[in-house]
Amino acid sequence: MGGEERNMPVYLKNKHKISLSMSIRYLLLTAGLFITVMPMFYMLISSLRDNKSTFSYPPKLFTSLDKMTFENFGYILNNGNFYRYFTNTLFVAFMTVLISAVISSLLAYSFARFRFPGKNILYSMIISVMVIPGLAMIIPQFEMAVKFNLVDNLWGVILFYSAWVTPFSTFLLKGYIEDNIPKELDEAIYMDGGSVFTVYRHVMIPMASPAIAAVSILNFLFPFEELGWSQTILKSDEIRTLPVAITMFFQAHNRTDWGYVFAMTGLSMIPVIIFYLLLQKYFISGLSSGSIKG
Amino acid sequence: MKKYKIIGVMALLLMLASLVITSCSSDNKEVSSDESVVIEFWHNYDAGAGQVEVLEKLIKEFEAENKDIQVKPVYLEWEALKNNVVSGAATGSLPDVLRGDIAFVPQFQSLNVLEEMSALSDYKDAASGILEAPNSTAKIDNIFYGIAANTNTKILFYNKTKLQGANIKVPKTLDELWEAALNVSDSKTIGMVEPWTGIWNVGPYIWSEGGDVLSPDNSTAEGYINGTVAVKVIQKLADLYEVKALAGPSMDPGAVGDTDGWASGTYALQLDGPWRENLNIDAGVDYGAIPLPAGSNGSISVLGGEDFMMFKSSSDAQKKASWEFIKFMTGKHAQVEMAKVGQMPVNKEALSDPEAIKAIPLLPVFSEALKSAKSRPVTARWSEMENIIATKVAEAITGVKEVKKALDEAAVEIDKLISESK
Amino acid sequence: MISIVKKKSTRKTDWRVYILLIPGLLFVATFTFYPIVKMLVMSFFNWRIGYQQVSDFVGLANYKDVLSDQIARRALMNTVAYAVVTVPLQMIFGLFVAVLINGIKKFSISFRLAYYLPVITSWVVVALLFRYIFNNQGLLNYFLTDVLKVVNEPIGWLSTRWSAIFVAMLLGIWKGIGWNMVIFLAALQSVPKEYYEAASLDGLNNRQQFFYITLPSIRGTILFALVMLSIGAFNTYTPIAVLTGGNPAHQTEVVLTWMYFQTFNAMGKMGYSAALSIIIAAVIMLVTVLMFITLSRKKED
Repeated sequence: MGGEERNMPVYLKNKHKISLSMSIRYLLLTAGLFITVMPMFYMLISSLRDNKSTFSYPPKLFTSLDKMTFENFGYILNNGNFYRYFTNTLFVAFMTVLISAVISSLLAYSFARFRFPGKNILYSMIISVMVIPGLAMIIPQFEMAVKFNLVDNLWGVILFYSAWVTPFSTFLLKGYIEDNIPKELDEAIYMDGGSVFTVYRHVMIPMASPAIAAVSILNFLFPFEELGWSQTILKSDEIRTLPVAITMFFQAHNRTDWGYVFAMTGLSMIPVIIFYLLLQKYFISGLSSGSIKG
Repeated sequence: MKKYKIIGVMALLLMLASLVITSCSSDNKEVSSDESVVIEFWHNYDAGAGQVEVLEKLIKEFEAENKDIQVKPVYLEWEALKNNVVSGAATGSLPDVLRGDIAFVPQFQSLNVLEEMSALSDYKDAASGILEAPNSTAKIDNIFYGIAANTNTKILFYNKTKLQGANIKVPKTLDELWEAALNVSDSKTIGMVEPWTGIWNVGPYIWSEGGDVLSPDNSTAEGYINGTVAVKVIQKLADLYEVKALAGPSMDPGAVGDTDGWASGTYALQLDGPWRENLNIDAGVDYGAIPLPAGSNGSISVLGGEDFMMFKSSSDAQKKASWEFIKFMTGKHAQVEMAKVGQMPVNKEALSDPEAIKAIPLLPVFSEALKSAKSRPVTARWSEMENIIATKVAEAITGVKEVKKALDEAAVEIDKLISESK
Repeated sequence: MISIVKKKSTRKTDWRVYILLIPGLLFVATFTFYPIVKMLVMSFFNWRIGYQQVSDFVGLANYKDVLSDQIARRALMNTVAYAVVTVPLQMIFGLFVAVLINGIKKFSISFRLAYYLPVITSWVVVALLFRYIFNNQGLLNYFLTDVLKVVNEPIGWLSTRWSAIFVAMLLGIWKGIGWNMVIFLAALQSVPKEYYEAASLDGLNNRQQFFYITLPSIRGTILFALVMLSIGAFNTYTPIAVLTGGNPAHQTEVVLTWMYFQTFNAMGKMGYSAALSIIIAAVIMLVTVLMFITLSRKKED
């Protein structure tokens, strides 16, 4: 197969490859898609159904069009403080992403490129923080939150969330920097008279952007789904975040308004999807690593 | 890329600034001005049933009558209500008033956070207008740590359509209830559902047959939770479970939840509280309800409900204001208003109020059951004990362990707890 | 020239590096080190979490309690099983999807979004969905009994220990594929195209290119994913809490759900929970270190 193809004109060769391996790829991806998306589809359907018929038996995966209704969405948007919860969660998410991006990139750069006393110990300590989930430390953390007056305050969640996600972001970024950003780039800046800050600004941030984007997408998601800590800190209705708000529908005695739950969840997913769409282009952007090696 | 650096610096400055600001701001508990005291009220009134609306209306009325008090209500879901008290206990980050499940009283007391309400000068007066049995749920060792807010108990709900369809008469005794559960079960129906396996669920059966969980002075479990009556009752439940005449999500996580099961016609019988009425109406089930059919020792159901509690961490002014609020909420007017949205009153006058009776059609049945309902032991480590019982009973019912063995183990563990807390 | 060279050689201990380093360290130290240290301290006491309560020092008693507790041991076993199955599988599927998507031109964005959807949905909701699907009267049983008619009675997927854990594993893998896809896509992008071109010229086919070029180049990412996912798997809480709540009778507990139960439901066992958390942390650290030692190699080219 190899030899003849090398003599074929390029356009024909490509066309041959596209038709077979490409179609297999699309096929596999689409098949996987069904499995992945089906539960989401079910959630969407349920949010469009009347509250009472969500869990009937026999279960209905498809609903006739005339039974579909937007009343759940209407209820969520018109009653209660949905917009307030929404903006609260957005604020927390943005600040968490920002703080953790800044801190983790600073830390990752320092650990990736420099030597200083206690470096290995410090790095291991930061990484080992990842090992205990934030929720396990709820009692001591709450004591801290009280001391810093962070209870019933959005910063009480922002700061802790940032602290919880920073170790992982640092971990990933450090590895990315070591793997993919050659020291020669740093050297070039130094030779032009720049300092470490310049390297940070002009080399690290742009070149690590795919990794920063990847962790930011995950960090952005976190406030939209974290429940334990947000429930402990955020008590006043005005500063609640979406996950806490959704629990209001888990009324006592097993009566849950599933339609509302799914509708609110659906709406909560929209900003995360948008954020993802905005950042995911960084995965496509060409990187300069190839040009240096060549 | 300069902007990243600027953003970064700004963000750090912002963060530091806000930390400074929040540290300098006032205490997280509301600071009372000279004119008015602010009290924080944690609750889990059901918004869907309209209870939150009524609460807000009542608060406005209260504030109008008491111009120097402001009430700040905070809704917390049932579990979060308990968890937040647990996490806030050490630092005293607690509300001033809380309305929570009666089961919370011993739990919170073990955290040393509850105010001794019986020490209040007019507690006796206020309590005299309240039903005695529900109020006893707030009493530990002759000290009252709360006052009843609303009460409920469990009665037998049955699906009329299903029973009639299988030609089963409404059971009049406990044995007939087991028979009915057996006979109504078929491939698509499971006779009875019990969402949990604690004393809240199996207690009524044990008590109605003459047994008990702990000795009358709550000092021993041996001989009671593993006594003959208890073993017989749990064995019966295990037998029903084996032939799929009994199911529940805590015994089998794959089982349909009770509310969903009623709606889909999976379950036909359940010993449950007043919320089951509205839920069945919503689900369009043709149901009936009677007090628990009597066993050899009568018909003894389990007492449920919520109590109002006050906290040691509040200031004197807040405690005074909280007590005023609680007296208002346990007064006739508030109790009748709450009755209209499904909260069974504990106030004696409210119980005979025509509006309340109109609002809760099953009130006569519940009142009947309330006369003989028994409260679960109100003792220091009860929640741990009930957890042990729930685990062992679940093991017994699902057949993991023999009934006697499981209950013996429960007795041993509970007695160990009792001796530790001495 | 000379002055610049001097600058270069002293840059490794440049004071500016500390400016980069200190804010981040302080932040992490304050918000995470302190609670961890506090937990460690608490684990040696019969720690009372009540209001103005005094705690007694009990030394290693809490640790003994944890290690001799049957339920804790069971929880640990469940957690290890969960980790051993879900971590490799979601990485493999995620990498597979990433490779596929990396090679297509059209609809790439749509596919990526679709596979990422489970990741960005709250754990609570997807666990509820799975609970519904695997319920005794849920979608799956419905298909098996009424539609396909392959079984007579519904299967209790969530009713027994290993079956329920199996469902939890499915949930974990399903939810994690998109996450891995995102991580691996970033890594794949950074493999220089020249490597592949050179390999093609040398006559390597796609499969060989994958194993000899792609995998080694993203080795660092694979290690990171492995460590991160393992830690995450040990810290699983929500899926189990929603699917089974640890039931029946604490058969399906994982270490975190059991710890949470002891903290909030048992009311008196904060020392126990703290000791349990420390033990979990120790186990994870051990596993992580082992992974690093066996899989990581010098990165200096």
